Amino acid sequence: MKKAAGSEPSHLSRRAALKAIGAGIGTVAALPWLSDQGMLAFVRIQETNAAPQLKVLSPTQFATLEVLVDAIIPTDDRSPGAKQARVVDYIDLLLSESDRQLTLEWFGGLAALDAEAMSRFRTPFSRLGAGQVDAILQTISRNERAPQTPLETFFVMAKQATVYAYYTSNIGIHQELRYKGNVFIKEFVGCQTVDGKDCQYCGQKHLP
Amino acid sequence: MQADPTLDVNLTRALEESQRLAASITPGSDRWDVIVVGSGAAGGMAGFQLAMAGVKVLLLEAGRMIDVRTEYKTMEWPYASMRRHRLPPGERPIAVAEYSFLDRPYGSNPALAKHQKVMSYAANRFTRNWVVDERQNPTTGTPYSWVRARVLGGKTNFWGRGALRYGPLQFNAASRDGFDVDWPISYDDVKPYYDKVDTLLGCSGTTEGLMQVPDGVFQRPSKLNCVEVAFKRAIAPMGRHYIPGRAGVTTDGVLNNKYRARCAGRGRCGRGCDIQAAFHSPASLIYPARDSGHMTVRPYSIVSEVLVGEPSNRASGVRVIDANTREVMDFKAPVVILGAGALDTTRILLNSRSSAHPAGLGNSSGVLGCYLSEHIMGIQGSGYIPARIGTESTLDDGRAVSPYIPRFRNITDKHPDFIRGYHFQGGGGCYEYPDVAEELTGYGKAFKSNVRKYYPAYIGFGGFGEVLPRKENRVTLDPLVKDAWGIPVLRFDYIFRDNELKMAKDMADSIEEMLIAAHAEDIKIKREPLPPGWSIHEIGTARMGDDPRASVTDRFCRLHDAKNVYIADAAPFVCGGTQNTTWSILAMAWRTMDYLKDRLRAGDV
Repeated sequence: MKKAAGSEPSHLSRRAALKAIGAGIGTVAALPWLSDQGMLAFVRIQETNAAPQLKVLSPTQFATLEVLVDAIIPTDDRSPGAKQARVVDYIDLLLSESDRQLTLEWFGGLAALDAEAMSRFRTPFSRLGAGQVDAILQTISRNERAPQTPLETFFVMAKQATVYAYYTSNIGIHQELRYKGNVFIKEFVGCQTVDGKDCQYCGQKHLP
Repeated sequence: MQADPTLDVNLTRALEESQRLAASITPGSDRWDVIVVGSGAAGGMAGFQLAMAGVKVLLLEAGRMIDVRTEYKTMEWPYASMRRHRLPPGERPIAVAEYSFLDRPYGSNPALAKHQKVMSYAANRFTRNWVVDERQNPTTGTPYSWVRARVLGGKTNFWGRGALRYGPLQFNAASRDGFDVDWPISYDDVKPYYDKVDTLLGCSGTTEGLMQVPDGVFQRPSKLNCVEVAFKRAIAPMGRHYIPGRAGVTTDGVLNNKYRARCAGRGRCGRGCDIQAAFHSPASLIYPARDSGHMTVRPYSIVSEVLVGEPSNRASGVRVIDANTREVMDFKAPVVILGAGALDTTRILLNSRSSAHPAGLGNSSGVLGCYLSEHIMGIQGSGYIPARIGTESTLDDGRAVSPYIPRFRNITDKHPDFIRGYHFQGGGGCYEYPDVAEELTGYGKAFKSNVRKYYPAYIGFGGFGEVLPRKENRVTLDPLVKDAWGIPVLRFDYIFRDNELKMAKDMADSIEEMLIAAHAEDIKIKREPLPPGWSIHEIGTARMGDDPRASVTDRFCRLHDAKNVYIADAAPFVCGGTQNTTWSILAMAWRTMDYLKDRLRAGDV
């Protein structure tokens, strides 16, 4: 039986071994390294909007990233934006489980963003005004389909993470998209033309 | 890594039940008429048919029992999990054959980066406790994304629910285009069993009168939503059909099964339907069979080989390695039925080597392991339907399967580049996650409102193309590599060849053509096939036929070389068209069991 080359900390192997011999998840969860405290803290932050307990990002990096994600998906008159959807907490969590190379790319991107803000406005990115943030985003989003510079690459990376985190959040799914599925229904409705009417949702006419 | 309680399913009940059953059921603990290997669509249907007829069945499952009430997390929202349904490192148990795509010992490989989806469909947070860990169950040879589930019910716990029948185009394919051979049986032989399966399990669909995909005994169909109606109208002038999906889901309810309720339109069936409207083998077949008092289920039972008795054209039972204790036990019965899934069934037979059957049981013809087939997939097309751009969201995904564009090539015409054909499955509208958000450029309020605007208008399709059954596409036993229980693993020698690649090109061209006809905006076409095996529709490798020199089983899926060994899964299938495989496995297994019941009644096994 081959084992993945050196990629897992020892406690994960232990967990895998326990599972392989059929020990219950209950047994596994009782082990000290799987304490639920971290998760409870996470949930508390999500619910209360309290300051997060960061895992990878420094408070400065967190502040910079929060301004960036909220500029990518801002609050508008329909729904709150990425900041209120706690997108950066999610990114921090994923970075804490990513390989070092990826984490360093994010750190580098955040540093470059700050350097850009300093050189253009003599102010750190997290303290820029809305117009100044927009000016920088206009620059770094120019080649989104084929980024040329490290900052342009960082924009694409940050946007992908923001989009996924936002549209899988409670705010993104329910308030922004007003997604209507995942409920018990008696019968699927579909396009009303199927039932012999003109459809009020899409405007297509019933074809006799 | 941070603990994620949303991932921690309480398996105590299932594990206790598994250990209790495995400890109490031993070769000496009872006597059985029939041993059935596997508990998915094949083993489940075989065991159900026999137990309901009063035959004493021992059903062997390689994995554990399942606690469907706890493990089917049908309606969980992504934000209920801190990682939003992603799995943390080390929690992704298998990643669907990813190890066969990585350079050994499991470094990075460009093939893997290219095919991110290899890791997504069956290796998600909902299935991760069911699918096998490739490190325990490796394969060798050419890359093949072989998805296996070792748990009661197997892959039926998360199958795609596409319930399509084979028709004359499959059973008589060779007569039409001259390639390979026909099945030894016809659609008329199997049709009554498809009808019975529809009635027993429930099948949602519409009667269309299309010979390329015969109608069934349908329950209330799903409907097309707005973007789909627009698409249907656009391709109708091309002579192409776009019909509501046919789903192995009961929308009107089924009789005589206290475990199942009718569909409630939540649209999360692939995680396991917690009201059992979708067909899953445990609640649909195995629990009722067990209630009859004639079925014994033994989990943790990995079958390594079929034991040959005296005379040597009869099996005496099977050898089981207990998955936990590794104890080796020989269970005996007058009849053995293999339903481990086409490839594992063939692996068991290849490993059943004796002086009388040196190349494996059922392999006197030399074709055991040959003619592996499935579907070439990965060709996709998407776009935005103008009628829905800028409209408010509607409930568009509360259905068991997407609609379906039945095969249109090589039915009445003859394509110059390839034989056989393909179909598309897909649909659109407001799904929970807006794919459009990953495609639109920009940022800020304009970006956000653009996502909203295009969200209801999305439509997308994926193609399923028939892979020709070729003798040279085959599996053998690896002479060196063994699984975690010491059983030789399969070595694949399987690639897509000229016909499949030409078909894939036409698939991409035709879906593009149809999206253009629908005036779709921002059309995107994926022309690169996914890796072999990704369809999870493997068939063949122990094909049926009337000539024992060229086939493994007879027309009733009984081994030519051992008269009391039957195959209930898709290994005997000769070819499979474009259709999803499960419904045919169920119908064929029922037919095979009817034949066996007759033999048992006549005392002729």
